[in-house]
Amino acid sequence: MSQTKQSMGPTAPSPHLRVSDIHKRFGGVHALKGVNFEVARGEVMALVGDNGAGKSTLMKVLAGAHTADEGQFFIDEEAVSVNSPHDASDLGIQIVYQDLALCENLDVAANLCLGAEPIKPGFSFLPRFLRPLDDLEMEVRAQEAIDRLQVKTLKSVRAKVGGLSGGQRQAIAIARAVGADGSVVMLDEPTAALGVAQTRQVLDVVKRLRDTNHAVVYISHNMRDIFEVADRICVLRHGANVATWNKNDVTPDQIVSAMTRGLDKEAQNAA
Amino acid sequence: MQPENKVSLVGRLQAMRETRFGAFVPVLLALAAIWIYFGLAVPLWEYWGDPDAQSMRFIFLSPRNIYNLFMQSAVIATLAVGITVVLLLGEIDLSAAATAGVCAALLGVLVLMGVPAPFACLIVMALGIVIGAAQGILVAYVGIPSFVVTLAGLLGFQGVMQKILPTGNLNVGDPFVRAFARVLLPDALGWALGILCVLYFAWTVLRKQSQRSARGLELDSPAATWGQIAFFGALVLATVATLNSYRSVPMLIVLLMVITALVGWVTTSTPYGRAIFSVGGNPESARRVGIDVKRIRVSAFAIVGLMAAIGGIFGASRFGSVSYTAFAGGSLLLESIGAAVIGGTSLFGGRGSVWNAILGALVIGSLGNGLDLSGAGAADKLMFSGAILLLAVAIDAVSRSGTTER
Repeated sequence: MSQTKQSMGPTAPSPHLRVSDIHKRFGGVHALKGVNFEVARGEVMALVGDNGAGKSTLMKVLAGAHTADEGQFFIDEEAVSVNSPHDASDLGIQIVYQDLALCENLDVAANLCLGAEPIKPGFSFLPRFLRPLDDLEMEVRAQEAIDRLQVKTLKSVRAKVGGLSGGQRQAIAIARAVGADGSVVMLDEPTAALGVAQTRQVLDVVKRLRDTNHAVVYISHNMRDIFEVADRICVLRHGANVATWNKNDVTPDQIVSAMTRGLDKEAQNAA
Repeated sequence: MQPENKVSLVGRLQAMRETRFGAFVPVLLALAAIWIYFGLAVPLWEYWGDPDAQSMRFIFLSPRNIYNLFMQSAVIATLAVGITVVLLLGEIDLSAAATAGVCAALLGVLVLMGVPAPFACLIVMALGIVIGAAQGILVAYVGIPSFVVTLAGLLGFQGVMQKILPTGNLNVGDPFVRAFARVLLPDALGWALGILCVLYFAWTVLRKQSQRSARGLELDSPAATWGQIAFFGALVLATVATLNSYRSVPMLIVLLMVITALVGWVTTSTPYGRAIFSVGGNPESARRVGIDVKRIRVSAFAIVGLMAAIGGIFGASRFGSVSYTAFAGGSLLLESIGAAVIGGTSLFGGRGSVWNAILGALVIGSLGNGLDLSGAGAADKLMFSGAILLLAVAIDAVSRSGTTER
C-alpha cells in the first residue's frame, strides 16, 4: 500500500533518486515546503498536482535548473549535490521539457548527438570545434538509440526533425535524454499536444524506458495516461506532498480529489 | 480533416527543400532560366526580328562574357559567403560592403605608404575580423538587434571610408594586390586542377557510400550518387573549358573557390558549423546542450568581417582602384545579401549553404550582365533584381510555413 507525507511506504522499491525535505522560495512565495520525492530504476513515477502545486518547481530543482534552498539529494542512497543542470546531467538526471528543444532544421542523427558529436580520429592538431564530424558514427549511434526505444514509425535518422510528427519528435527528445547517459528521465507533459495515435507511441516509449531499467518521472494532467504507464503516483498540493500511492491502490477520482482538496479523513485512513 | 495523401504545392516545396540537394533546385532553375533567356531566347528574337542579320550572335553565352561574368560576380560572391554565415544564425549584417570598403581603402593607403602588400593584406583582414567581432559583441552580449548594430556600422563605415578617401577614389597599382585578378593559370594547370577536383569529389562520394554500406547504414540511390558526381564533374570541367577558351582560369576564381570550400567545410562538417546551424534553428536547444550561443554569434560576425575584408582586397585587385561607389556607396551590399538569399539561405536562420551563395551571386551577376547586354537601363536592372529577390524570399517564407504548421 502506500504512503504518507514523510515516507514513501513499505512497498516502494529501493529508490535510485531520492530527495528529502526540499524547500524552495521565490521571494515571499514558498513554492516547495519540505517535499519528499523518490523514483526507482525500472519504475515510472507520476508526479501530479493542480496548477501551482509545485510540480514544475520540483522538476526544475531535480534537473538543477533551480537550486533548492534546503533539502538533500541522494543517488542510490548516497548524498549528492545538485546546484546546476550540469550537476544533474553528470548524475544521469535528464529532463525532456514540454517544448522538446529540438532543432527542426537538423536531421534526427544531428539532434540526437547535438553538443556531443563524434569526431573522426587523427585530427588532434586542430582545436576540437574544428575537427571533422564523424557523420557515419553519428548515424549509427542515432539508429541504436532509436532502435532501443523501438520507434518503428521513423523511417530514417537522416530525416529532418521539421518533417516529423509530434509523437516522433517526443520520442527523439526522449532518446536524446536517454542517450546522454540518462538514468533518470523526467518527462514534462509529454502527450499534452498529441493526438491519439501519437500519444500511444509516446506511452509505448515510456514503457520501454521502464523496461530498460530507467527511472522515469512522468508529469501529466491526463489520468488515463498516468494510469496506463505509472507504477506509483505522487500528488503535490500547495507545494507539499499530499500522498504517494501505488497505482493499483487508488482510483482516478481519489487522485483528482487529492489534487484539488487534499486528503479527506477517509483517504487518510486508507493511506 | 485533411487526407494524408493530398500534397499541396507548399508541401512539395517544403519536402523538396528538406532533401539533400533540394535547396539547390530553385537557384539552379533561376540561373538556367536567366541563361536560357539571355543566352538563347534574346539572340533568337533579335535574329528573327532583324532581316539583315547574317547569323545569330550568342554574346551572353560567349566564353568572353562568361569570363567577365565570373569576375564581376567574384566580389559579390565573397561577401555573400560571409553574409550566409550570419544569416544561418538568423542574424543579418548590413555593414559588410562598408566594411569591405574601409578595408580596401586602408589597403590602398597602406600600400601607398610603402607597407609591403602581403603584410597590408594581413592587416586589413585582421581589421575585418575586429570590426565583425566588435559588432558581434554588441549583438550577443549587449543584446542590440543585429539589424540596428550593422545599420549603424553601415552608416559609420561609409563615413570612415570617406575620411580615408577624401577624393572618393584611390588607384591601387601594387603588383601583389593586382595579381589576384590578373594572374591566370596556364591552361594545362587549369585542366589539371579541375580534373583533380572532380576526382577528389568522386572519391569522397564513393568512399562514403562504401563506408555506409560496410556499416549497414541507409544508402544513397545509385542515381543520386552518380548524378552528383556527373553534375559536379560537368560543372567544373565546363567552367574550365569555357574560361580556357577565352583566356584561362583566373587566380581570383580559384581563391574564391578555395575560400568557399573552406567556409563550406567548416559550416557543414565540424562541431562549430553544427553549432551555427543549431543556434540558427533553435537557440534554446543549443544552449541546453552546452553550446555557448553568444560566442558562436560573435565568431560568425568575425567571419563575415573577414570575408568582407577579403572581398575588399579582391575588389581592389579587380578594379585596380578603390572607390566609394564600388563598395560602401554602391549596390554591393544589397547584391551580396540578395545573392545569399536567392541562393536559398533562409533569413530566419538555420538553413542555407555557402555554395548556394555562389550560385546566388551568379544569378545576380547574370541578370545584371544580361540586362546590360540587352541595352536595358539601370532602372530595369533594379526592378528585375528586386523581383528575383522577392521571389526567393517568398519561396523561403512559404517553405518555412510548411514546416512550422506541421
